[in-house]
Formats: sequence, structure tokens, C-alpha cells
Amino acid sequence: MADIKIIDARGLSCPQPVVLTKQALEANAMVTTIVDNETALENVKRLAGKFGCDVDVEPKGKSVYEIHIVRGADFKKDQDFTVSCQTGESPSGPFVITVTEDKMGRGNDELGTVLIKAFIHTVAGQAKKPDVMIFYNTGVKLTVQGSDVLDDLKQMESEGVQILVCGTCLNYFEIKEKLAVGIVSNMYDIVETMSSAGRLLTP
Amino acid sequence: MKDKKSYDVILFKAVSYALKAEKILKKENLPHKLIPVPKHISSDCGICLMVHLDMKDQVLTALQDKVDIENVRPLTE
Repeated sequence: MADIKIIDARGLSCPQPVVLTKQALEANAMVTTIVDNETALENVKRLAGKFGCDVDVEPKGKSVYEIHIVRGADFKKDQDFTVSCQTGESPSGPFVITVTEDKMGRGNDELGTVLIKAFIHTVAGQAKKPDVMIFYNTGVKLTVQGSDVLDDLKQMESEGVQILVCGTCLNYFEIKEKLAVGIVSNMYDIVETMSSAGRLLTP
Repeated sequence: MKDKKSYDVILFKAVSYALKAEKILKKENLPHKLIPVPKHISSDCGICLMVHLDMKDQVLTALQDKVDIENVRPLTE
């Protein structure tokens, strides 16, 4: 009977358990990897499946698993394998985009105007949309009548994206009565939303 | 977007042509939209003009002899 290579991956952080298992499998027909969390378990199981191996998982107490892997006849070496190191939990708090200008990037305003339109149109087409979009300074000009991105913003609002528009800014540019999408907001809401954001993105 | 199938995109050789075309269409009041070039057409960070099929002929006439058009393609694959 061939030797079983044992990889003790307890205490190692992702992607180490997978990397070690992969190396071991390339040199040994039978490998047992010991892991101490579910993420590593899932990743090692996925790896073994992709490589065409038989997998048997043996729970050994709290979150500890022995994963017995036996190479199959159609063992495929040198495969690409992407490790997913996320714990499955997305960062807590809403995904927020702040639009601080009616342009994207610095340097050339004509180009910046084109880019911000393309950016908002593309965000509107994404499967994963922001929870909140905040518009301030010249960014508020994108939310009023005549804006080229109104249809994109309205579509996102109808899909549940909250659109906050800085009232002071609308006032300053004297375009408050032209607001066509979103709700007039204030610095309190803006600060609170930004502070509680799980992800804050500015184009 | 209501129905992607009813739109075409007009592609240009350079960003500046797309901007020039946008200016012309704005002046003529022809509905259009500047969007990033769809991924299935090119992976470049380009922009193009999206127009409804009903407006396509009018738009192309308006741009004729004024802006070089590289290609006209459907918006969807």
C-alpha cells in the first residue's frame, strides 16, 4: 500500500492549505489534508474535484476536518485553479458610490465629461449595483433636467438604488427646482452613509 | 434600457470623432447616447454612440461627410 502524504494545514491562512495540497497531489497518489475552517475545506474539496480525485471528508471536532484525497485514473496535473479566499461574508455595510464632480478624473474636462457618462451608464448595467449613490459639488449637475445620464440614474433608482443629492450644492448652483432624480439630502445623511459604508467608491 | 435589440452602436476611429458626432446630433436634436463600446465588440476603453434603429437613418444622414464612421453594429451580441 502506498504511503499517504499528510498535510497539516491547521492554522494556515488561505490560500496556503490549497497550495500545499496541490503540491502534495502532484507528487503523491494519496493525500490527507487537515484543515481547521470551512473556507479551507471548501477550497480543498473544490481543488480535488477539479483534479479528478476522490474525496472523503472526515469531521474531527469543531471546524477541524481531515480531507482524504485519492488521485483518480484521469488525474489532471497542472490545471489552473482559482482559490476563493473570501469567507462568504461580504463586507458589512452598504456599497456606496460618491460622485463628487460632473467629470471623471483630472486633466481634461471634455474627456472627463465623457468618462463620467460612460461610468454611470456602466454602473447601471452591472449586476451588482451600489446601495447608495451620493452626489455633491458639481456632481449634482448629473441629477438635474438636461443631464445626459438621467435615464441611467432613474433606472437605478427604480431598481432600489438610493440616490442622495447634496442640497447645499443644488442651492449653490441654483438648480434645486430642476432636480429630476433622487432625494435632496444633507451633510448629516451624507456623513452617516459614508461612515457606515462597507465599500466606498469614487470614480 | 427597454429593448437592447432595437439599438445599434456607431463606432468611430477615435474618441474625438465620437465627441464631434455627439455635438452634431445634439444640435440637430436627434436622440442618441454616448456609451462605452460594448465588450463583445472591443475590449478597448472606447466610446461610441448608441442610437435607436428608428433613428439610425436620420443620424447617419446628419453625420454624413462630417464625421468618419468606422462601423455600425448591433448593441447586443
